[in-house]
Amino acid sequence: MTTSEPTTTAGKPPVVSERVVTTRAARANAHIGKHAQTIAIGVVLVLLLIFFAFSADRFATTGNLLNLLRQISPTLIVAIAMTFVISTSGIDLSVGSTVALTGSLLAIVLQHGWDPTLALVAILALGALIGFINGWFSSYQNIPPFIVTLAMLSIMRGTALRATEGYSTPIDGDLWIVQLGQGRVAGIPVPVILAVVVAAVGWITLTRTPFGRYVIGLGSNGESLRRTGVNTRKVGLAVYVLTGLAAALAGVLIATRLSSGSSNAGSGFELEVITAVVLGGTSLFGGRGSMLGTMLGALTLGVIANGLVLLHVSPFYVQIVQGAILLLAIFANSKVWARFGAVRK
Amino acid sequence: MAPADGAAERTVDRVVMRDIRKRYGMVDALRGVTLRVGPGEVIGLVGDNAAGKSTLMKVLAGAVVPDSGEIVFDGQTVSFATPRDARELGIEMVYQDLALCDDIDVAGNLFLGREPRKAGGLLLDVARMHRDARQHLDALNIRIPLTDIPVGGLSGGQRQAVAIARAVTFGPKLLILDEPTAALAVAEVETVLELIKTVSAQGVSVILITHRLQDLFRVCDRLCVMYEGTLRADLDARATSLERLVSEIVAHDQIDSGKSDAGKADGRKGNDTTEGARR
Repeated sequence: MTTSEPTTTAGKPPVVSERVVTTRAARANAHIGKHAQTIAIGVVLVLLLIFFAFSADRFATTGNLLNLLRQISPTLIVAIAMTFVISTSGIDLSVGSTVALTGSLLAIVLQHGWDPTLALVAILALGALIGFINGWFSSYQNIPPFIVTLAMLSIMRGTALRATEGYSTPIDGDLWIVQLGQGRVAGIPVPVILAVVVAAVGWITLTRTPFGRYVIGLGSNGESLRRTGVNTRKVGLAVYVLTGLAAALAGVLIATRLSSGSSNAGSGFELEVITAVVLGGTSLFGGRGSMLGTMLGALTLGVIANGLVLLHVSPFYVQIVQGAILLLAIFANSKVWARFGAVRK
Repeated sequence: MAPADGAAERTVDRVVMRDIRKRYGMVDALRGVTLRVGPGEVIGLVGDNAAGKSTLMKVLAGAVVPDSGEIVFDGQTVSFATPRDARELGIEMVYQDLALCDDIDVAGNLFLGREPRKAGGLLLDVARMHRDARQHLDALNIRIPLTDIPVGGLSGGQRQAVAIARAVTFGPKLLILDEPTAALAVAEVETVLELIKTVSAQGVSVILITHRLQDLFRVCDRLCVMYEGTLRADLDARATSLERLVSEIVAHDQIDSGKSDAGKADGRKGNDTTEGARR
């Protein structure tokens, strides 16, 4: 109305209609861009499932699929937390080392006769503390999280090696805590149930709570968020506490599943987690995170690892494939999907 | 600080900044600036780069604490330690660099930091957010058909409109706009200027910083020219020509008083191409 009123220049009415069209196109593009990535990874997952179901004999059995889910549960749990971190345009490279340290320490304190419940609480608290340190340096001291968590990666791995002297520490199979890794409820492995709960809570938190909104805002335009009065440093710190906590839980699940705490656990774990998150369409530059994408991404990685083993492919290839997938996913995120207007940086 | 001389005069003003001084090391950013703004008045604050416009506005928004001087807001002497203090009194500043989150939708940006909540404050009330956003945008005549698209997908003018609308949702008494029309297409400048008129018609005082001098004559009641940390001129926008304004900005003292400019001003405004059927 108002823009078409001043008719001093002849070109104005077309401008108006163009703007309306632009707006509609923008919404369509934004929505397609947002969901296309999730749909794409979903399609890839289905194709992989079909491929392995026909090529590997034992792939499509309930036992194998449940096993696959149990294998991928720790990855999924940490990937959910990592989605928050990456959405703020941060990164946490220390999760793999945290898995090793928490798993090792759990086994050691249990060997020293700690009550399993107390040990569990202490280990989770340790994970949160590690995350707090990561978050304090990155968010309050403005040191790039890449460097902070890389340093912590080394510190945690070294601490785990020092604590165990490189040996694995067995966990007594009679303790209830072993059920976390090995137990089943109605036939479903406990880690899977935990992962589903974490995923559901993470999903609601990211999409439906003020905290989730601030995580996206922090990655999108942190200064803008700060000016509205939100304590952005606290938000920036909290996401690392989440990954620390999730990594500790993953450490507990892995150690109890193997009935042993090893300082070599979780090597390459951070790569797997970050690959799952990026594969799901979460932007490494922040501002865009997809929980559903992360879940599908983690499942895809699990299916590939499991399927390749069943096809008797050398497990060494799994690492190569994973790295290649990470590279391709980042490439797709920043080049292919950018056409849909989903990526603007 | 100073006793209430001329208190009657001051109560009608929304804000009076009196003898504001600020020094950064060797640089006198503000050398005793006095500025007053009435309710619903639109002030154009102009001046060359480094004239002290932004510093003065940061003082008013609480982002910079002055070395000396007095700020009277609605008849009360106030002092701001933080932007929050200023905001609580109803002073909102929209910054030059579009303070929006591109990845969050229109409604989310409008309510960022104060989202309506449900379930005991745990969850966002997304439905109410979109409803309130729609009402709010309609009330300001901002034509954004959809509140659920990320603001990154909007045009520059629409984004600026959203940024101003967000400031207005706080229910400000004074709105400071720092270069709101820089980097906008011609048609989009219209959107923003219309919005400034709408907002001031609702009784909100507006201080507009801009380098687009032609915009000033469209929306402003008064033009305040700053020069090297002082307020050089306080002009009636309706009785001032563009030449007069420019000469004040570049501080050409040889131009005489400007009383004779009143007649010239109308002609100048008629010639201004962006001055259309707007008024």
